[in-house]
Amino acid sequence: MSVLIIIFLTAVVALFAGVFEQGKFSRYISILGLLVAFYISFLPEAEFFNQYKSMFDYTVNAALFTKIAIVITILLFFLGGFSFSNHRSHQSELYALMLFALCGGIVLFGFQNLVTLFLGVEILSIPLYVLAGSNKTDLRSNEASVKYFLMGAFATGFLLFGIALVYGSSGSFDLYKIHQFSLENSKDLMFNAGAVLMLVALAFKVSMAPFHMWSPDVYQGSPSLITAFMMSVVKISAFFAFFKVMSIGFFGITGEWINIVGVLIIITLFLANVMGLAQSNAKRMLAYSSVSHVGYLGLIFFGLNNLSAYNLAFYLFAYSLATIGVMMCLIWVEKLKRETSYNAFKGLAHTEPLLAVAAAISMLSMAGIPLTAGFMGKFSIFAQAIQTTPFLVLVAVLGSAISIAYYLRLIMVMFFPKESSFKTSERVPLTYNIVAVFIIAALLVLGIFPDLFATQFGM
Amino acid sequence: MSYLLLTLLLLPLVGSAVVFAWKNSTSKYLALGFAFAQMFLSFYMLANFDATPTVDGVLQYEINYPWSQFIKSNLHFGIDGMSMVLLLLTNILTPLIILSSFNEKPGYRNTFYGLILLMQFGLIGVFTALDGLLFYIFWEVTLIPIWLIAGIWGQENKKIAFTTRFFVYTFVGSLFMMIGLIYVYTHSASFALTDLYNANLNASEQTVIFWFIFFAFAVKLPIFPFHSWQPDTYTYSPTQGTMLLSGIMLKMAVYGLLRYLLPITPDPVLGISGQIVLVLAIVGIVHGALIAIVQNDSKRLIAYSSLSHVGLMVAGIMASAILTVKGTLMTEGGEGALVQAFAHGINVVGLFYCADILYKRFKTRDIRQMGGLAKVAPKFAVLFLVILLGSVGLPLTNGFIGEFILIKSVFDYSKLAAVFAGLTMILSAVYLLRFYGKAMFGEGNESVLSSAKDLSAVEFTVLASLAVFVILLGLFPQPLIEMVNSSLKFIFTSMMN
Repeated sequence: MSVLIIIFLTAVVALFAGVFEQGKFSRYISILGLLVAFYISFLPEAEFFNQYKSMFDYTVNAALFTKIAIVITILLFFLGGFSFSNHRSHQSELYALMLFALCGGIVLFGFQNLVTLFLGVEILSIPLYVLAGSNKTDLRSNEASVKYFLMGAFATGFLLFGIALVYGSSGSFDLYKIHQFSLENSKDLMFNAGAVLMLVALAFKVSMAPFHMWSPDVYQGSPSLITAFMMSVVKISAFFAFFKVMSIGFFGITGEWINIVGVLIIITLFLANVMGLAQSNAKRMLAYSSVSHVGYLGLIFFGLNNLSAYNLAFYLFAYSLATIGVMMCLIWVEKLKRETSYNAFKGLAHTEPLLAVAAAISMLSMAGIPLTAGFMGKFSIFAQAIQTTPFLVLVAVLGSAISIAYYLRLIMVMFFPKESSFKTSERVPLTYNIVAVFIIAALLVLGIFPDLFATQFGM
Repeated sequence: MSYLLLTLLLLPLVGSAVVFAWKNSTSKYLALGFAFAQMFLSFYMLANFDATPTVDGVLQYEINYPWSQFIKSNLHFGIDGMSMVLLLLTNILTPLIILSSFNEKPGYRNTFYGLILLMQFGLIGVFTALDGLLFYIFWEVTLIPIWLIAGIWGQENKKIAFTTRFFVYTFVGSLFMMIGLIYVYTHSASFALTDLYNANLNASEQTVIFWFIFFAFAVKLPIFPFHSWQPDTYTYSPTQGTMLLSGIMLKMAVYGLLRYLLPITPDPVLGISGQIVLVLAIVGIVHGALIAIVQNDSKRLIAYSSLSHVGLMVAGIMASAILTVKGTLMTEGGEGALVQAFAHGINVVGLFYCADILYKRFKTRDIRQMGGLAKVAPKFAVLFLVILLGSVGLPLTNGFIGEFILIKSVFDYSKLAAVFAGLTMILSAVYLLRFYGKAMFGEGNESVLSSAKDLSAVEFTVLASLAVFVILLGLFPQPLIEMVNSSLKFIFTSMMN
């Protein structure tokens, strides 16, 4: 909880920097605050916060996910300076809102009670509705915001209704009391209905098909850095909440919902990958790729064991790093070319080799090519799920077989042409090159020594 | 912990990093230096290698180091006879392949040579890994550099289509292998090779795993119905890429077949699955040879001839495997396949280089428009003929002994199958001699011939070294056969239990 408080205070300070017209400093303030929060996240929780344990508990898993979310946010903020360079006057709101969303994410990592879950989901979502529309002059950005808000509000309704039914049958909001209830009354109809409604709401939040309809439009319309934030930090938070609710709260009725998740995974993998293949716009392709990764992540519910949360964290971290690697490249191209079709990337490797290599390795990591972190993530999830449902793993593998085609398309456009289409003398900012080197190193090192993740983030 | 093997493994990686950073026209000499160092290192290791150990399948130069606490997999590398043969092939061919590119205009940049060395790193990893997961990782590592080589320097108007097909096809194959290996892993103690051999799988599970893993190898080899990526990829890749693909990379699949597929899933070999593979391989032999006869594109012709030769290797391996699982220990198929793998590597690299030399002289790959080069290029005519006859399998050349053992092992299993498998020797003479005749003899175009030169120093060095190997191994195949014998005995014995 101390991490939560620090990030919240940072967000307030960053916001007030804008009030006093010092918006240009809010990025540095935010990064500083996040670094402090990152340091604090390694320390044990203060005694004082034990009294809140029934609502919010900073468990080992919560700590792990908090750390990766903070690292990803810091990396994204490094990219912010260039990405938001046309928002000179009100940068501070953007950073503050992202930090508020991160607060919501951290609430989701530690929630012990359905009330905290609801609070976390809302704190996470509301800043995002604003952020999606932060490019005020762009119609697509406005569309994204409205679409996201309407659909999100609808999903929240499902969540609340589900919570109400679960509360009505089990008589408690507490996750572990619900866990106990699910073990004892697995046939309670109202309880099961509540569980399914909550599943629908959370599947919406993680954009699992067929509840993903909002995500391609929202991801494409939002400013690219915000899209990267939604694909990485928001996905980490929402998926961990999803995982926690289903695998702890509704553990006793696993048999009732696991088949639904299985079907959703199959639909997600096929739909998202085939749609991804059909895109001609790189940003929209990445949106579909992001949806398809939820399908792979969903396999975590099959063959649950005590390493599942760790494997989930590893996969999400690898995926988020890769997302930043590609989105970074996309932000740069979008700035120069004002569009993000595949052709806009033509010959990028000749002018910005570092950026292109980072994007290529990121996409290979997303596709699960060995020696990248993405492979180790996929491998652990597949190895877990194959013990109970080999069929789903087969579907997932077919999905990645389709996905490689659209990742390759973008890599080929960047590397294969003999000449670059970037005639400008403008060079990529230094921070981008630093982040690119970091991403390349992190993806390769985690792919070669996967245990470093456990030792560095404390497991 | 063997530092020699560690050096052998890391030297190409270091070399590749250095060459990538060396943004200079001299990067090719640097790459060649690394490749030669690697070659001499493997010769040194060969000199200290016990080719006939007292215990079958014993590993030398072993490295075993724990890797991850969450995955039961070790960084386990080692060399036995089988690995040694393919390591030698890799390390002999790589410097020659690098050397063969020296005359290219405009010159290749550092990235090209860096990628070749990266490829070598992956290949050495594949041939020395003794752990299922490591094998898979290195197997995939080889794919990225060759794909980039083919894509960046491939034929301009075709490259997007053929590289995509090549990558997706092989990647899908590998993914199936990954599922197969993971499934075996969940039923065994760890990814260690011996644990995978002793995995607790029933017959129907084994059949599914067999086909999953076989799919990866069938695509890489390629075996008959999975070969549609191959002719285009071999034809439109730059010559050095084709050499790497056909000379070394497809041997990964021969190696994987022997080292992983057969010992892990021996049961289906006995059933219908083994026979289907045998039949597919033999269909591939005849199919490839017949298409090669009517090909007019020189590179495409060699690609189909490669399909035909690879089919024979697989047929030999499967015939011996079926007999072994039935109860009589037969290792001839494996021996023949490995000897032939070595010989085919040398020959096909030579043939593709000859095709490249012809292309440089005639500016076309169409063999109908060539002719008469023997008059103006006698050195080339001789060396081309030596390599070509090696590929035909003339006695006293390297191709003969491997094909002979392979046909014999197919014969032991089924005489009818041997009739069809034996066609490879006849048909390969037909299409290769037709190729030679059209390209080297006849009238030819006077205006082209008047300006055509004989071999340059670089071309001569590469072709002559290959020709030396063709004749040397044709005269003295015994050391090679002895070297692979003990590891094959170990593998085939473990299939019997």
